[in-house]
Amino acid sequence: MLKRTSLLKRLFILCCGKGRHQLLRTSLFCIFLSLLAGTILLLLLDKNPLEAYTSILQGAGILPKGRYAGRKSQLTDFMSLLNYTTPMVFAALSVAVALKCGIFNICVSGIMVFSGFMATVFVGYSNLDPILAKVLVVLIGALSGALVGILIGYLKHRFNMNEVVVAIMLNYIISYVVSFFIQTRFIDPITRQSVAVGQNARLTLFDHPVGNLKMEIALVFPLALLAVFAIKFMLDRTRFGFELKAVGSNSKASKYAGIHVGKAVVFTMLISGSLAGLAGVSYYLGSNASIQPRVLPSLGFDAIAVALLGNTTTIGSFFASLLVMVFDCGTTYMSSRMQVLREIAALIISILLLFSAIGIFFRNLADRYQQEAEAV
Amino acid sequence: MNTIIIEGLSFSLPLFIIAIGGIYSEGSGITNLALEGLLGFGAFFGGLSYAVLSRSFTGDPTTLIYASLGFAMIGGALLALLHALMCIKFKANQVISGVVINMLSVALTAFLANQINASFFGQPSNKFLLEVFPKTTIPLLSNIPILGAVFTDFYTFELIIVIVALFMAYLLYKTPTGMHIRACGDNPHALAAAGGNVQKVRFWSVIASGALSGLGGMCFAYSISTTFSPNIYMGFGYLAIAAYIFGSWKIGPTFLACILFGFARSGGYVLVQKLKLPSSYGDLVLTLPYIVTLVLLLFFSSANKPPRALGEVYDQAKR
Repeated sequence: MLKRTSLLKRLFILCCGKGRHQLLRTSLFCIFLSLLAGTILLLLLDKNPLEAYTSILQGAGILPKGRYAGRKSQLTDFMSLLNYTTPMVFAALSVAVALKCGIFNICVSGIMVFSGFMATVFVGYSNLDPILAKVLVVLIGALSGALVGILIGYLKHRFNMNEVVVAIMLNYIISYVVSFFIQTRFIDPITRQSVAVGQNARLTLFDHPVGNLKMEIALVFPLALLAVFAIKFMLDRTRFGFELKAVGSNSKASKYAGIHVGKAVVFTMLISGSLAGLAGVSYYLGSNASIQPRVLPSLGFDAIAVALLGNTTTIGSFFASLLVMVFDCGTTYMSSRMQVLREIAALIISILLLFSAIGIFFRNLADRYQQEAEAV
Repeated sequence: MNTIIIEGLSFSLPLFIIAIGGIYSEGSGITNLALEGLLGFGAFFGGLSYAVLSRSFTGDPTTLIYASLGFAMIGGALLALLHALMCIKFKANQVISGVVINMLSVALTAFLANQINASFFGQPSNKFLLEVFPKTTIPLLSNIPILGAVFTDFYTFELIIVIVALFMAYLLYKTPTGMHIRACGDNPHALAAAGGNVQKVRFWSVIASGALSGLGGMCFAYSISTTFSPNIYMGFGYLAIAAYIFGSWKIGPTFLACILFGFARSGGYVLVQKLKLPSSYGDLVLTLPYIVTLVLLLFFSSANKPPRALGEVYDQAKR
């Protein structure tokens, strides 16, 4: 049936054509393309791409390095990868849930700053018992994120305001107001950031001795995994999840079908906001310990594209976050070993996201080739 | 008072030209969240061209300064080409394409600036140093009380921006080309029925928006820091988006919005200085334009009319 089409086209149809796991295959194809682009880039810089990719994997703890510093091993590298991945998983989930309901949540960065700041102020500088403090940090993070989320959802539903515009405005308002409070009250004159939070409130244990190793343990990583499955369950198996997706695919039709569109929008933003809030606390009180004034974390914007790479599914977002963070974490090791600039990681990641943004084009093209091939 | 007007205008006008870029793109029906990335890449390209040319060029340095504005427009247009391809040819989601372009722009400029500085100029830096942009005062007009400040001590790029802006406004509202662009945003099928080429009009509109953003970005680079550095990504592109949404996708009201943003900013800074507050209060001042936009949108969002076909992929078969 496919006899007359060229080999290249057939391969392409195999990658992106109709059939089982079409979305997954397209994503893998996009990853392959961006690795190819990265290879060309590295060759242009006169570096060995194979060695570069291996050292990225080694730096991220996926492959063993040649030798390790004292009390470090592949496991410690991997644990540190998990530590940095945790906020990204929350952030990507937050974007994915909102997208399922047809809302584009670009406010993740702002919410992260807000929740991180709230948790820092209320718990970070206190002398509470470590366990109580950590639980409080998580609760405050989720709650303050949810508040901003509800605000966006309400403004969108009640006043018909474009959520993208509201989110952009909120991002900057939050960033500047938080920066004002940090610079007037909580500034550390040496680092020019907010005063570091106490160890009792941090969601990551640093240099925690396990056996003869010292590793970073992200205490909220299990919570992130739990969130992945809880959101998946909610979307696939509950009535609210169905309503949410219905509003996302056609809000008018769902309104005539008797679904409260406004309620669905506000609740979705509540969930999305609280996930972003969790991302904030696991970023500012986990992998970092202080807030840099006037800076919106780029992680919140990267999460949009990561969720997209994961086809806005929960499980997909999880693996996409892991992949992107492997690049992010592994590059430090690669750049020190091969004298390549650290910025190349961000470049390869954005090329990857560029390709995944046009995944729909690849799928349509493959469908067309397939039809042509079958017509012959 | 004079400082408020002088500083305010030197901020408002670059913002205005970026917002016009946004109006062109969105007016033709392509959502453009990429303004931030476009202005940064334009400024990068302009800064790079200045750094390269100033090494071999021996003539009057002001010529180079004006040339770098042109290069910035080319740079912005180059990145906009990518956005146009993604949105029109590859039918990607326009919002997502915009976000990705912003990320790409930040990553690309950081990488290239470091790499070029290291391998060609032999210095580890992510900046390109620029000259101070020439300033002028118009003799007679500047003596008018209060309003005279408009003509006092302004950067000459402000004049260029005003001329370009007037031309773009004329093009959009008084010529058949402008009619086509606006038709593309409101009812692309009508344009197609009248024999126009929707894809082509949209393509050139997005390119124009890139060129204008590049120009604005370069002006920001000159007026704010006289360097190109990654600090150019301070959210001015998003502020420009706020400005034209505020101005309901029309050039006239958008101008007022930009003036409001600029004066709120410079006025706030002057106020902070006058009241002898610590400089950190400047952060609160910076929130003013955003809060004003949010509150005003609250009341006027029903009167706000975006182009009707905004963000839709043009599909010939759909009616």
